[in-house]
Amino acid sequence: MILEQTPDKSRKISWSYILLGISIVTIILFTLAPILWQVLTSVKTNEDISAIPNVYLPHKITLQHYLELFERRPFWLYIFNSALVSIVSTILCLLLGSPAAYALARMKLRGETIILVLIAVVTLFPYALLFLGVLEIIKNLGLGNNYLALIIPYTAINMPLTILVMRSFFRQLPQDLEDAAKIDGYKTISMLTAIILPMTLPALVTTGILTFIFAWNEYIFALTFITEETMKTVPVATAQLGGASLFDIPYGAIAAATILGTIPLVILVLIFQRRIVQGLTAGAVKG
Amino acid sequence: MNNQRTGWILLFPALLLLFLIFLYPITRAFGLSLFTENLGTQLQPVFSGLANYQRMLGDGRFWQSMSNTAIFTIVSVALELVLGLSIALVLNQSFFGRGIVRTIAIIPWALPTSIMGLAWAWIFNDRFGVANDILQRLGLIETGINWLGEPGLAMVAIIIADVWKTTPFISIILLAGLQSISRDLYEAHKIDGAKPWQSFSQITLPLLMPQIMISLLFRFAQAFGIFDLVQVMTGGGPAGSTETVSIYIYSTVMRYLDFGYGAALVVATFMILITTVALVAWLFNRTKWA
Amino acid sequence: MLFFGSSKKLKKTLQGIHAIFFWFILGFCLALLTLFLHLPGFSQQSVTISILMRGGEAQQWQPLVQEFEQEHPEINLQVIEAPNDTNQVEDLYTASFLLGNSPYDLVFMDIIWTPKFAAAGWLKDLSGYLSPAELDQFLPGDVQGGMYQGKLYRIPFRSDAGMLYYRHDLLAQAGYEPPETFAELITISQDLQQQGLAEWGYVWQGKQYEGLSAMFVEILQGSGAFWVDPQTLEVGLDRPEAIAAVKFLQNTLTTKISPSGVTTYAEEETRRLFQNGKTVFLRNWPYVYSLALDSPIAGKYSIKPMVHGENQSSGACQGGWGIGISASSKHPEAAWKVIQFFIKEESQKKYALANGYVPSLKSLFNDSEIVAKYNHYPELLKVLENAALRPPIPQYAQASDILQRYLSAAVTNTMSPEKAMEKAAAETRRLLSVSDK
Repeated sequence: MILEQTPDKSRKISWSYILLGISIVTIILFTLAPILWQVLTSVKTNEDISAIPNVYLPHKITLQHYLELFERRPFWLYIFNSALVSIVSTILCLLLGSPAAYALARMKLRGETIILVLIAVVTLFPYALLFLGVLEIIKNLGLGNNYLALIIPYTAINMPLTILVMRSFFRQLPQDLEDAAKIDGYKTISMLTAIILPMTLPALVTTGILTFIFAWNEYIFALTFITEETMKTVPVATAQLGGASLFDIPYGAIAAATILGTIPLVILVLIFQRRIVQGLTAGAVKG
Repeated sequence: MNNQRTGWILLFPALLLLFLIFLYPITRAFGLSLFTENLGTQLQPVFSGLANYQRMLGDGRFWQSMSNTAIFTIVSVALELVLGLSIALVLNQSFFGRGIVRTIAIIPWALPTSIMGLAWAWIFNDRFGVANDILQRLGLIETGINWLGEPGLAMVAIIIADVWKTTPFISIILLAGLQSISRDLYEAHKIDGAKPWQSFSQITLPLLMPQIMISLLFRFAQAFGIFDLVQVMTGGGPAGSTETVSIYIYSTVMRYLDFGYGAALVVATFMILITTVALVAWLFNRTKWA
Repeated sequence: MLFFGSSKKLKKTLQGIHAIFFWFILGFCLALLTLFLHLPGFSQQSVTISILMRGGEAQQWQPLVQEFEQEHPEINLQVIEAPNDTNQVEDLYTASFLLGNSPYDLVFMDIIWTPKFAAAGWLKDLSGYLSPAELDQFLPGDVQGGMYQGKLYRIPFRSDAGMLYYRHDLLAQAGYEPPETFAELITISQDLQQQGLAEWGYVWQGKQYEGLSAMFVEILQGSGAFWVDPQTLEVGLDRPEAIAAVKFLQNTLTTKISPSGVTTYAEEETRRLFQNGKTVFLRNWPYVYSLALDSPIAGKYSIKPMVHGENQSSGACQGGWGIGISASSKHPEAAWKVIQFFIKEESQKKYALANGYVPSLKSLFNDSEIVAKYNHYPELLKVLENAALRPPIPQYAQASDILQRYLSAAVTNTMSPEKAMEKAAAETRRLLSVSDK
């Protein structure tokens, strides 16, 4: 094809190649630059951080800011808290959401459309509209400063996505399989746990990654419902890092915390890129 | 019949949670908004009818936060749509290393907004920020700009951070849409003598409409409720110029302990949001049928 | 259709998957277990008392904390570091009290939080804990600021008040006495600016934040006006005297004795201008005094109470921090021991000498060691003794935000003083009347 083209046309094509190249480089730069800048800041000495004009490549690499996070703060606890809350709420979400999704995908319930519309609509509610009521629930149940104060809301806010994604996967399952199982004498629930659920394991992983990410990143509930220092999650603890003196903001330590708090997510994206895209599109478009 | 019952049993726990965390708070806000419950009443609810709504009408700060939110939402979502579509178009081309670039392009979406807000606040720092440094090196400005300290500029900084953070979401959705458009359509169009721009506006855009509408709807709702980014970057300042409705609601409840009025603010915001969403959905449906 | 193998393999896969599920569930149960193990079930011999404060100040507390723990080995005093932004600390305390079961036994309070925390029922009534004679040793404004509806909730630890800094060298050079009234301040400034002795006359905090309200309280008092009467909840912002107060601020801008940038300045920006010798007068808090000793203007400045209107008296905005006990504390006795230790003369003196904060006990202002280090303290005492509170109402934060909005609009000329104060008064009235129902 290319050989047949006139010189004029091939020049056009090379121009569009250059344009494509430029846009790809721009996309990469635009995406990574802020993160890279944090990485650089986190390993610079305080002199380099506050140098004017800016020092781009550190003269000396230091891990001081990272050490500070663990010495002056229980940073490993923050990571543990975030991980615990995210993992438990993810599992709960899958445990409760998948059966619901199955029911909505297969069981032809009366009023199923209303429920689906409802689920789609609640995904649009900003959390700032919810925290007042949730605060009341947490208070009345005496759950303040308890991990459940985060686990319950996180499970709920991830529920619509879980249901929508899982439902779209269930609907791809061939109906014959279930019919065959029914003939073999399986009840609905045992059929679900014995046959359907295991087969949707990949879908569960996809959904689980998304819910984990949302739970790890959540801010307003974590800010409001946990005030005990040792129970804070990474985003809140990072935003509340204080300096050693009243007039000093610990930029280096904040940068280090940024890196530590985002590494797990970057790894997730690198490994599961395809699944994330699959899940998001299934949740948003098909749902 | 039995099947129906099993179905509802399977649904029940999930619905219960959704009810507890989504529907109860909103219904509760409607009820509470008719009461005065604040420090003046020793935090006890006292029925006051529509007093909270009357107060809202004369509350300059509420209207300012509404207009801040509207500006933020419109500008950031518009930018994100344009950028997101361009990125999706680029990532839909075939080139060496496409998989890696696609992966990289998702990263901002996956990171915590609050933490990356801190990162952006550092970039826009008035004294040591790299944004000023770059502009100075390029000779565009002479002295550092106080990005987060000047009303107009603080909003610009927040919008930039938000565009960075959420454009990937739109690209992901639109890219999936692009991939589902058959190449044959373009080939056929080309044979009919159409220029690239024409095939973009006559094939790509119309076929991508559902994805565009859905990502717009999602982004509209999220941007309208923006909280974490503003909270960590400016806290709503300077001089309330970046205070969004969510931030105002949060202060009203958590700082002022004005629960009744906070509930009224929740109701007002909710109504505006839902009306807009319904309107958009209705318009979309109508054009689809037409 | 993505996930299927043939149905022969199905059974085998299923077994494997069952195993995976088993471990999954087990892990889940373990996670739940850690959840509940975390509940504080253990009791120890020593009592832990916790308090939250700005990270910077928490560091400054450390020497006294160690001393306290040596004196009271049975009490473990835990100082938790919060961000350095005062508002964030207030929010952290508020959130923890709202949830019930606050993790903090002691509350380190800015003076303006007291009515709010007390009205919400979060503080223990400390009325009987100190005798009238003991209370009398504290600065009156600090004690007043710890009261709500006649009860004491906060014991003052360190004091603060706004005042006028002036360059006595420049005034002497031009043959002026320190100004007493607003008008004198303007005339002297203009004259010194014309003589080229200083670039600016007067700098103050005009940014839209709490400092603006604090500064304005002084101008209001000096004009014979008031903001909110705490007893009757009457709002005085739209009265002629209050509008005159706003006009004074506007005049500092129109007469060019203040740079137009003051409307974006907080304490630090104004301090830098003063320290660099760029201005004759400065309105600020006591902390500037010791910091400016290390600057080109060392030895060339003095302090005095704020200027005021004709036939009025000076206003000084009362600030400062004190300690209260959380109503939900399980160890109020131990918590009280901490308070006793920190407010005693010896501790306050050490704290003042080490960190330059102003003590709350009157006797320390004439203490020989303190005066040797800070020779302006006798003068400072005069300012502090007449300090006035910002309205001690529970809704203060809201009222202050309303005032800041409109005052800022007035000084930046986006609204006329009359219009701005009218709106501010109306919104404040609506706030207080709705609350009062």
